[in-house]
Amino acid sequence: MTLFAQFVLTGIVTGCFLILATIGFSFTRRVEGFLNIAHAELLGVSAFTTWALNKLLGWNIFPSAFVAIVFTAFVGLAIGRIVYDPIRRFGPSVMLITSVGVAYAIGGTMDALIGTGIRTLDIPLASSIRFWGLRITNYQLLVVVLAVVACASLALFLNKSKTGLAIRAMSANPELAASRGIDVQKTSRATWLISSGMAGLAGVMLGVIATLSTDIAFHQILQILAVAILAGLGSLYAVILSGLIVGVAMDVSVFWIPAGYRPLIAFAVVILVLLIRPQGLAGSAQSK
Amino acid sequence: MIYSLILTTLMFGAMFSVLTVSLNLQYARGGMINFGTVAYFAAGAYAYAIVTQEPPSGLDQYALGLNAPWWIGFIAAGIAAMVFAVITGWPTLRLRGEYLALTTFAFAEVFHSILLNERRIGNGSVGMANVERPDPAVLGLDDTLAYTAAACVLMLLTAWVFHRLLASPYGRLVDATHNDEIAAESVGKNTARVRLQIFVISAIPIGFAGALYAMITTLVAPALFTAEVTFFVWIALALGGERTILGAILGTMALVFFQEAVRMIPFETVRSAQIAASVEEVITGILFIIVLRWQPWDRLARKATT
Repeated sequence: MTLFAQFVLTGIVTGCFLILATIGFSFTRRVEGFLNIAHAELLGVSAFTTWALNKLLGWNIFPSAFVAIVFTAFVGLAIGRIVYDPIRRFGPSVMLITSVGVAYAIGGTMDALIGTGIRTLDIPLASSIRFWGLRITNYQLLVVVLAVVACASLALFLNKSKTGLAIRAMSANPELAASRGIDVQKTSRATWLISSGMAGLAGVMLGVIATLSTDIAFHQILQILAVAILAGLGSLYAVILSGLIVGVAMDVSVFWIPAGYRPLIAFAVVILVLLIRPQGLAGSAQSK
Repeated sequence: MIYSLILTTLMFGAMFSVLTVSLNLQYARGGMINFGTVAYFAAGAYAYAIVTQEPPSGLDQYALGLNAPWWIGFIAAGIAAMVFAVITGWPTLRLRGEYLALTTFAFAEVFHSILLNERRIGNGSVGMANVERPDPAVLGLDDTLAYTAAACVLMLLTAWVFHRLLASPYGRLVDATHNDEIAAESVGKNTARVRLQIFVISAIPIGFAGALYAMITTLVAPALFTAEVTFFVWIALALGGERTILGAILGTMALVFFQEAVRMIPFETVRSAQIAASVEEVITGILFIIVLRWQPWDRLARKATT
């Protein structure tokens, strides 16, 4: 039973990481209206920027992480402006396919610069905290705390600030928002910055709790998709709930089935959700 | 050197063209985004390998090897892809656009994961080596030459069948389903069935191509059938321009030629070869973005008509 509880606990940590990774993706999807496959590559960009600053230049982890997150946010903004803005008129399918090309370009660049092999950050070893026979490392705890802080501040931002409200208006009805005098350009830019910054934060977390290799980003997109699909076009809260569901489901599944099938759980979720409830957990039925 | 480059380009180009042409039918004519192309390809290759492989011995972990002649394996490959298309298409085809893309992608990943983890199918990650294949030496032909010819025949046959299919009244029904579903339904056409038919029909040649791939490489392993194959075919399709069979074929040939040409460059170190491979990936990605953004083929076509 303790073992089972341990799996659930690890699952919650996985879920929190997935929430961090998915928020940006889900955000882009709502405001820009397409599935950005290249989002996961931004996690890689951030993780490897942190690694380069921390390991190669010998910076402390905190400034490295900060610079990496800001850098990733602007990379995301640049890609959004250069690549996605001009093709918006072709519709979400073309944007989705284009994002595969973007993922290729970013992934290839990282491969060329960094090369294969496993990398780790230069940080103290994790120490574990034990309670009721369960174990959690301080870095895992950090992921949970950051996920909570990130979600709370994003919720505040979206509900209280002017830009946040503009973003919500844009995602609900772009034409109406524009006609009410919302600066569409500025709002779109803010969206790219926030969603890419979130990817940057998730990327740093990835570097902290896992070992890095250049193909890591691709493995994340599969799970990000699962969470985003389960959440549907719903709110931030739906993303939080479905992140936890997918995370716990994946880790607890190891209890019954071979660990090799763990990523499969995410896909089983995608397939089941799309077949049974295509609009996701929250959200009403939508057209197409 | 040039000769062998052309020959490999033609061989793999023709084989992948079968995939592109089938995808073209699904996407440009049927309006379905299939991001799981590799699964049907893998289904064909594995079906071929399992049917023709000798029964397991020694360290083999696969459960079934029928040791049948190659042509039975080839037919089985088509059937396997078809069955897989029915299984995956039946529940998913009511989904549209990006949602269909995601489900097919998910199905392909699940399939890949099963091939990787379930050792009784095909030795898990090791795969099955020394896949049986017909020996062209009987006809007095060189190996590469014979398989290049076979790939070209398969490609031409697929292109011809699809061309005939789309030129027929059935082709107009397909276009109607794509262009205006409500209109098609209002004149009594079952659009859901047409979509499934197109999906299944276009999966069959992909299965055949999978069998051919298994013959050429004499190896089937999960590592050969990753999502990269799917993306490769999509990029080829975008490069060649949608809606035309010739465009799909030319796009694939160009992309394969580009990759093979990079592979021909002799590299001193492993690292430089790795960089070249990554740069190739970057260029492929950027090309893809550019083609989708400016859509040069559509413009050319429009210019030609006006």
